[in-house]
Amino acid sequence: MRKAAILSLILAFVALGCGRSGHAPESGQNPAGGGAPVESTATVQSSAPIADANGLIEAPKPEGPLPEHLVGANPKPNPNETPVDGGTIVERMASEPETLNPLTATDAYAGMVLGLVMDSLASRNPDTLDWEPYLAESWDISQDHLSYVFHLRKGVKWHDGAPFNADDVLYSYQKLMDSSVSAAPLRNYYQDLQGVEKIDDYTVKFSWKKQYFMSLEMSAGFVILPKHVFDNGENFNTHSAGRHPIGTGMYKFANWRSNDQIVLEQNEDYFGRKPHIKRIIYKLIPDDNNAILQASSGALDEMNVTQEQWVTDLMKPPFPEKFNKYFYYNQYYNYIGWNELRPFFQDKTVRRAMTMLVDREGILKNILHDLGVVVTGPFYVFSDAYDRNIKPWPYDPKEARRLLDEAGWIDHDGDGIRDKVVDGKTVRFSFTLMIPAGRSVVEQIATLVQEEMRKSGIEVNLQKLEWAVFIQRINERSFDAIIVGWAMGVEQDPYQIWHSSMIGSGGSNAIGFSNPEADKLIEEARPEFDRAKRTEIYHKFHAFLHEEQPYTFMFCTANLVIVDKRVHNVIVHRLGLDIRDWFIPIELQSVRGQ
Amino acid sequence: MVPTLIGITLVTFVIVQLAPGDPVTLAMGMQGDSLSATRGTATQQIVLEQRKLLGLDKPLWMRYPMWLGKLAMLDFGRSFKDQRPVKDILAERLPITIQIELLSVFLAYVISIPLGVHSAVRAGSVSERITTVILFILYSLPSFWVAYILLYFLAGGGYWHIFPIGGASAPEAASYGAGKWLVDRLWHLALPVLVLTYGSFAGLSRFMRTGMMDVLRQDYIRTARAKGLSERTVIFKHAMRNSIIPIVTILSGLLPGLIGGAVITETIFNVRGMGQLGYNAVLARDYPVIMAVAVLSAVLTLVGILLSDILYAVVDPRIKYD
Repeated sequence: MRKAAILSLILAFVALGCGRSGHAPESGQNPAGGGAPVESTATVQSSAPIADANGLIEAPKPEGPLPEHLVGANPKPNPNETPVDGGTIVERMASEPETLNPLTATDAYAGMVLGLVMDSLASRNPDTLDWEPYLAESWDISQDHLSYVFHLRKGVKWHDGAPFNADDVLYSYQKLMDSSVSAAPLRNYYQDLQGVEKIDDYTVKFSWKKQYFMSLEMSAGFVILPKHVFDNGENFNTHSAGRHPIGTGMYKFANWRSNDQIVLEQNEDYFGRKPHIKRIIYKLIPDDNNAILQASSGALDEMNVTQEQWVTDLMKPPFPEKFNKYFYYNQYYNYIGWNELRPFFQDKTVRRAMTMLVDREGILKNILHDLGVVVTGPFYVFSDAYDRNIKPWPYDPKEARRLLDEAGWIDHDGDGIRDKVVDGKTVRFSFTLMIPAGRSVVEQIATLVQEEMRKSGIEVNLQKLEWAVFIQRINERSFDAIIVGWAMGVEQDPYQIWHSSMIGSGGSNAIGFSNPEADKLIEEARPEFDRAKRTEIYHKFHAFLHEEQPYTFMFCTANLVIVDKRVHNVIVHRLGLDIRDWFIPIELQSVRGQ
Repeated sequence: MVPTLIGITLVTFVIVQLAPGDPVTLAMGMQGDSLSATRGTATQQIVLEQRKLLGLDKPLWMRYPMWLGKLAMLDFGRSFKDQRPVKDILAERLPITIQIELLSVFLAYVISIPLGVHSAVRAGSVSERITTVILFILYSLPSFWVAYILLYFLAGGGYWHIFPIGGASAPEAASYGAGKWLVDRLWHLALPVLVLTYGSFAGLSRFMRTGMMDVLRQDYIRTARAKGLSERTVIFKHAMRNSIIPIVTILSGLLPGLIGGAVITETIFNVRGMGQLGYNAVLARDYPVIMAVAVLSAVLTLVGILLSDILYAVVDPRIKYD
């Protein structure tokens, strides 16, 4: 579900505790990644990585001894156990969904719950990443890649017993496009969808205006609403089904106690592979410290932890005996963006110097406890679009200073700050680095950057802004530099962030990156359905950005999860954890009552 | 009172809506700028429609009277975030907040008044000095730190498990009888109430002490002692009642605080009260909720002022209103 929301700007370092948890493979913005823990100081080795058909590459195997806190992470499940049904697990939810209406919901936890309750037409296999049939049994793609005909599964029932058919798909499309439906962020991605037609009760056709390699993903990942529930004259945005969702998914919604918990129950009539766990309780605990205490006292079976908790709390009793810990990479990176409209950052020599002043390896080691990797480009680090042959620019203040001198930024007046005459005016190299408030890790990084720049004759003023204001300032393009992050899909179209047409409204090219050569590459890749050719284009694009350094790309951080040891068969897939694997042995099921 | 209330809400309404950031931009993330965007693009259209949906398309001077008209019929509107009526949201949050705050105010007074009396009567003694030092130490301890210390040592950090780690009730509390429910609730609220209370001992007892010292120097106290009344009667009947006026003044100021809640304490103890509601509403630019909280506080402030005026007359017969 919700794969369509390909890009979403998320709070920098979300994984650090604002708790964007997720193991449901269906929720699109969720983490993915390789299996084995990585000694992550090592930048990804390029020793002949073998990409599979879908281009995801195994995370590199660790070199040398593992850091102590990674020992025992991602334990292999015992393959000889026979799963049994039953049992309840309690998961932490760091913030309550605003609504469980699939179209109007925007937050991560709604995505997580709805990922289990609702289905889309197809979904990616969590290992191979191939599209697997869900509500559609099969699909045909026209020669010109403009129309996608889905043959729907027959005999599927909504949780209330009503049959599912093409009218539901059609209705979902109509509501998505209905301007009175509060789904603006999602609708914005579907501007090129020409229409959805019902061919018969079990066949629908999606028509697209342009050839685009993401069209299958966007059609298949389309969320399907129950028409008979929503279409009863009630206002869609405030519809009671938003508090009581009805889907076709593997779990049924049971109840939602506001400000407390959401409960899901296994759907015994599910058409697909059924989960073993009978009941999931999402318990609302906003505070990280409170949550870890609850986990230690046995009140929680699963939660996301912060890097800090991973290296401190989890090393102490009762965690090693009571919980298994899991570690996998998010489809995410964070970066420092340099606004190219500012006089200092117009020159790529200067931008490269800025990158060389940021000690990414040091930050990764000392602030992020090695729980991530340094990245050099705009794609998910373990996908084939990302070129692992590109090595990050090293941390080299001396070279950076030389580059700055070369670019003409020299301290002429001896005040300790470099300056340069731009358009007849002397400009001091003094800029404001804008960060979202309330993220201590980002603050630490920003402070380090500030200190490093000061030593090289650059004045950095830090500005912490509340998220609403931060976003607005980015959209107004009124900033010098920002630290923030991007969440992505398995596949990623760089158009929205990097194309010059996206500098204006509706786009996410906030730093004003504009380059005809880059535009050409981006446009070439969009109608390219041959994966190998697209990869080639994207490698060129990646190399191009590496030279230009419009961002100082920073880290792909790991998702850190603990699961109570009474839950067996927890497997780390490339898309994270999948609850359908899990089971609780009979003798341990009574822990949470029945 | 009504003109004052309208004035307060007008100012709040304007400030809140003029503050940078708005709910639509927030929802769109980095996809689009809702106001200064290039006209006519599809995104711009989508954003404008969304603003219309939330009623943000009309100018401010039209929005305020519309909001006020609804308020007159006690309609707070619907939250931008989850589209539920603000009334329902308040109904969920208010009871627990009021319980915590009432307990905390009650505890603060019950402990501070005797402490104040004690330090006035025994001014300068060793026990008075020790009490004062302790109260000031408590006053200066940051509440989030104390909250975590209490949690770790008393509620499940591997030491004593005397109190629950968080929440307002046991998960199965709905099935309890009234007595058991009450005990369970008090047990859950013990730590948060303690955290919200300990800091106010110093201030309150100082007020009480000052008032009391003033009164103890009065002639009628000497007279009372001279006519042979017991020290107990002198202190508690004659002195205390007369020195309680400053405390009453403060009490009225506490009324809006009853629904204000405490963001940090609520978060740490996993209690969903008004503090978090207001805080999150501001962060999300959820105007209807922000305004509802503001109206409640304004009303309670005004009522508090009125109440304290009435209470003066009750406590001190010398004060009369014509």
